[in-house]
Amino acid sequence: MVNSFVFKPIRELAGLIASKEISPVELTQTFLDRLEEFGPHYNSLVALTAERAYRTARLAEADIAAGRSRGLLHGIPWGAKDLLATSGGIPTTWGAAPFRDQQFDYDATVVSKLEAAGAPLAGKLAMIELAGGMGYIHPDASLTGPPKNPWDTGRWTGGSSSGSGAAVAAGLVPFAIGSETWGSILVPANNCGLAGLRPTYGRVSRYGAMALCWTLDKLGPLCLTADDCGIVLETLSGPDPKDGSTHPQPFSYNPDFNPGRRFRIGIISGVMGEAADAVRENFETAVSVLADVADFEEVRLPELPYVEVTSTVLMVESASAFEDFLAEGGPLELSGTGWHGRSPYARPAVLATDYIKALRLRGVIAREVDGVMSGYDALAAPTAMNTATPIDEEFRSRSMTSAGAGDLMGSIGNGCGLPSISVPSGFDGDGLPTGIQFMSRAYDENVCLAIAREYQARTEWHRQRPPEPIT
Amino acid sequence: MTTDANNSLEQDLLFAIVKERYGHLLTGEQLDGVRTAIIGQRDVFRPIREHRLTNDVEPFASFTPFRGD
Repeated sequence: MVNSFVFKPIRELAGLIASKEISPVELTQTFLDRLEEFGPHYNSLVALTAERAYRTARLAEADIAAGRSRGLLHGIPWGAKDLLATSGGIPTTWGAAPFRDQQFDYDATVVSKLEAAGAPLAGKLAMIELAGGMGYIHPDASLTGPPKNPWDTGRWTGGSSSGSGAAVAAGLVPFAIGSETWGSILVPANNCGLAGLRPTYGRVSRYGAMALCWTLDKLGPLCLTADDCGIVLETLSGPDPKDGSTHPQPFSYNPDFNPGRRFRIGIISGVMGEAADAVRENFETAVSVLADVADFEEVRLPELPYVEVTSTVLMVESASAFEDFLAEGGPLELSGTGWHGRSPYARPAVLATDYIKALRLRGVIAREVDGVMSGYDALAAPTAMNTATPIDEEFRSRSMTSAGAGDLMGSIGNGCGLPSISVPSGFDGDGLPTGIQFMSRAYDENVCLAIAREYQARTEWHRQRPPEPIT
Repeated sequence: MTTDANNSLEQDLLFAIVKERYGHLLTGEQLDGVRTAIIGQRDVFRPIREHRLTNDVEPFASFTPFRGD
């Protein structure tokens, strides 16, 4: 029997805390117990942070009892992708064997912000090694083992925020923080049937997070609902002198945002590419569901090398970020590197002129895309072309050139630093979730969140739960 | 020399650089994988090179002179 406090959205949990129906310490204990019992079942847990969680929870309890509320996250436990630095002897493994004993003496800014909001850190969550930065092709590329999907443990969660996806989907934490360089929040959200928000680049400080690609890395929440994503992002966002990329204005979440007219949503011509039948059908159904509040229109983008530009930036920045690691033979200790066609040692083989040309084209793309998007509130697309693939199979081609060939939205969104939210749009014939994403213009998180909320107000997919594991 | 031959020579030279820097770390099979990847990357750079830009299009990266006081 699942505890009645599990699988409740943040806003409901906050209400229960405010009405004293549950205390922060009780809530923290509930989720710590679940993380400890079920986390290993999904290969989703790196370390339980019970002592730290109880410390925050007891403070929250005292504050709330004294009438000092710090907001909706006060007393709500959460999990951190294990690329976020945490002090106090807690490991930060970056999901990779060479860093299994790594520790930091400081906290990532997002960790500090969430704890300052009174949210107890319950555990460090599994991830694909080095956030997939060395070119993995197989789900077993993780220090904690292949990340198992709560909907079917024979399938994987998607990566690289794999533990964050599994833990929220299985009700082991109410929400988790993940990171995305290219797909690492949206794909686990898709595969695990969650809401996942990739914020605008610079919305959230990356201080204390493993750097993979300085101009592509973003931190964001994986939650049960779009509303939860907005609540968490408001706490995470804001300028940080320790991260020069952060935007000076913090994000103010508006759960009542309404454009005062019907939403205008574009669908890029041909964006569904080779989508699986269920993905295509669920996307088309989702579009029809939103038809009473939104107008959809096919959009044509100018011919530009979207995928190639973002791929080049990713290759060069990751090769530089891990230059010493490459020189020391670090990738040889990883478990899932794709040596055939995706070798990390090929990444330094990029001419400077090609890289600078990619940066020049990146500006052209950013301006062209924004020009197109200025006529719309968001672009919509299936989040992924397939549901979760088997855990014991390679999930993509060995060829680097197909790195994102089917992910036009991902290459544009990450290359241009645009916000996007994925929410569940149904299931395939095997009972695996599909997702729909809404991508808005830079700094327009309130817009894509509003569309996602409208969709979730009309559907029940986000209320479906995977089976409890038998341990 | 044909374009394909030029490309092949370029990939060979890039592979030689990687082999010089990292070859001592890698097995023959892994080096074959590097060569395959470098050949694949050619397809990534081709459309970037083919796209013409005017002289005034700057890299989309900010540079700001620094003064510490």
